[in-house]
Amino acid sequence: MAEAIKGLVLAGVDGSDSSNSVLDYAIWIAKKSQSPIKILHTIEHSHHSEIPHHEGTITPNMKENLLDELSDEERLESKKLITEGKAIINDARQKAEDAGLTDIIAKQRHGTLAEALVDLEPELSMVILGATGEDHSGDKQGLGAQLEQAIRAIHTPVFIVKGDYTEPKTMMFAYNGSPTSKTALQLVAQGYFCNQALDIHIVSVKSNIEDAEELINEAQSVFAKTDITVVTKALVGDAIDELTQYQQENNIDVTTMGAFSHGKMHGFFFGSFTTRMLLESNTNFLLIR
Amino acid sequence: MLLSAKQDWLGNIRGDILAGIVVALALVPEAIAFSIIAGVDPKVGLYASFAIAVMIAIVGGRAGMISAATAATALLMVTLVKDFGLQYLLAATVLAGLLQIVAGYLNLHKFMSFISKSVMTGFLNALALLIFMAQLPELTNVTWHVYALTALGLGIIYLFPYVPKLGNLLPSPLVNIVVITLIVYFMDIDVRTIGDMGELPDTLPIFLWPDVPLNFETLSIIFPYSVSIAIVGLLESLMTANVIDELTDTESDKKRECKGQGIANIGSGLIGGMAGCAMIGQSIINVKSGGRGRLSTLVAGSFLLVLVVFLSDILSIVPMAALVAVMIMVSIGTFDWGSLTALRSNPTSASTVMVATVIVVVWTHNLAFGVFTGILIGSLFMAQRLSQFMYVDSSFDDASDTRTYTIIGQVFFNSSDKFISFFDFKEAVDKVVIDVHRAHFWDITAVSALDKVVIRLRREGADVSIVGLNDASETLLDKFAVHDKPEEIEKIMGGH
Repeated sequence: MAEAIKGLVLAGVDGSDSSNSVLDYAIWIAKKSQSPIKILHTIEHSHHSEIPHHEGTITPNMKENLLDELSDEERLESKKLITEGKAIINDARQKAEDAGLTDIIAKQRHGTLAEALVDLEPELSMVILGATGEDHSGDKQGLGAQLEQAIRAIHTPVFIVKGDYTEPKTMMFAYNGSPTSKTALQLVAQGYFCNQALDIHIVSVKSNIEDAEELINEAQSVFAKTDITVVTKALVGDAIDELTQYQQENNIDVTTMGAFSHGKMHGFFFGSFTTRMLLESNTNFLLIR
Repeated sequence: MLLSAKQDWLGNIRGDILAGIVVALALVPEAIAFSIIAGVDPKVGLYASFAIAVMIAIVGGRAGMISAATAATALLMVTLVKDFGLQYLLAATVLAGLLQIVAGYLNLHKFMSFISKSVMTGFLNALALLIFMAQLPELTNVTWHVYALTALGLGIIYLFPYVPKLGNLLPSPLVNIVVITLIVYFMDIDVRTIGDMGELPDTLPIFLWPDVPLNFETLSIIFPYSVSIAIVGLLESLMTANVIDELTDTESDKKRECKGQGIANIGSGLIGGMAGCAMIGQSIINVKSGGRGRLSTLVAGSFLLVLVVFLSDILSIVPMAALVAVMIMVSIGTFDWGSLTALRSNPTSASTVMVATVIVVVWTHNLAFGVFTGILIGSLFMAQRLSQFMYVDSSFDDASDTRTYTIIGQVFFNSSDKFISFFDFKEAVDKVVIDVHRAHFWDITAVSALDKVVIRLRREGADVSIVGLNDASETLLDKFAVHDKPEEIEKIMGGH
């Protein structure tokens, strides 16, 4: 297990409510997998000049003057954001230290979360993010603005925190036989995610029971070669309804699934299955791409 | 990315719309002036500006950049229009667009790295001079009224922004146009107006295939023009994209921009517009006015069309003097005045490149020739400098009567004569050892220089042996790439 998560466990913090539970889960995962933890805060630049000029005159050295003006304005804003971010990650570092972790890196980066994750990806083995970000605390959609973009940008597994921290005990693995789902199955079977600490339920939903059972048998044969014991369930019906119901009935803490196997256009027109699952479940998620 | 696309379009709605309107107002006089430079009716430039701005907003690679009919491309069309007429210009515009799309697929934007700061400054200075020179016909053989009106216009343009509140609200080039027009209209002064220069648009543009015979002769007429237009258009567009990247601290997609410019030019040619490209001045004005997203470019193009279609009657009474004032402002603003004082402080090589670029452009009226000249001269200067990175150490061993030459540094076409001159062929020795393991042979000229040296030494009766040739000729391969490891770079710079 310890060898499964090898690189850094990254916790994305932004000072929002959910960012506290993100850190709690990250600490739990880092401890269980004996991995170093990285705490990341991104400083997004969305500066818009408050004093636009409308005189429309092309003047000599216009570019240089404008560049000075804009960079002066942004410099002040960036400095402010960096100071705020420093406070956030210092608190987070303190919390991780108090929890007994020793290998802690706390970093700030400029740019969007997705950009930061792409730059850092080579050293990461898991990314832990909150489902809601700082701008979206009360949003009815319930998903952070940057979340989907961030998940799509990288191929490292992403753990998504939906609510307050409770120590995870049960994990449901939703298996549908798709290529990403098969990859996810292999990772779980190799003991990627703290399996010794969790009861694992493998659930497949299809429109008829034979297909569902076939998937279950397939999954079971993979686990048969390991020393991990699993509970399995074949279900019939609408995937989202059945999975969310199973989550509730069995007190599932973490839902693991292959994510965004379809292209962006598919998701744009039909709504992504992953996004809908994320919205309609109350469990945390481990998304594997 | 759909999310970033959304950000590009809707991330800054209010700022983009306001800035787009400011830009549209500034684009109208420029589009008319550039049509006059090219020798076509004002409507050709106006339709082009509409088509290019609207299309580049959608297909361009740099959000917030303004593209339209430009002086740089208009200057290239003058003789084509004069000799063959408008239809050939439209065909050349479509072909230039096709060439730009091809350039995009071939990743030619990467060649922008060959354009040094000096060439870029030369490009802008030359452009400014040409824009100014294009105004001279409007200022010769005219009555004193024109001079007075132009001077007044310039006064308004530069002083109106200092008027409290109002100065920051209304674009001063527009104020200049309104004031000069009113003066001429009410005082009934007899000066040339835009209406005298040709047809203005009174309808929306319509799709039209250029009316030229589709044969080899047509192609041979338009092809040279299309190549120039495509090159100059991409040069100015990519330069402008760099400027906007720097101003907004964001990245642009240069490949997409090349293809986008191509699509926009094809579209322009097919609705009766001339070729264009990105405009440095207007793009900076857009950013300065708060425009950041694609919406600003779209608003600029669409609002321009609304303006000209509904106001064509009013536009036609605008005196040319007001337009000339705007163009002189563009020219003064485009010129890099700092580069004049820098002529003395910059190294002579840099100043030579800049001045040569300007001279060739002003002489040929083709910015592409100027840029090529600048690149060529700049590369020669660089080759000259690199050839100084070579040195030969020689030692003599009495016991064995052996002369050893140790060559360190870069041997290539420009340093090979110097390489040969290091050897003392008149010295009578038994053995000569040429140690090249710390040298780099960059081309076959270097190898043949070594051959020459060996043959001459052998003729003088010496036994010649070469040490380390394999190391030295590693750099001969075209695909040789300096590795990104520090020790590899160290090897090249300091010998093995």
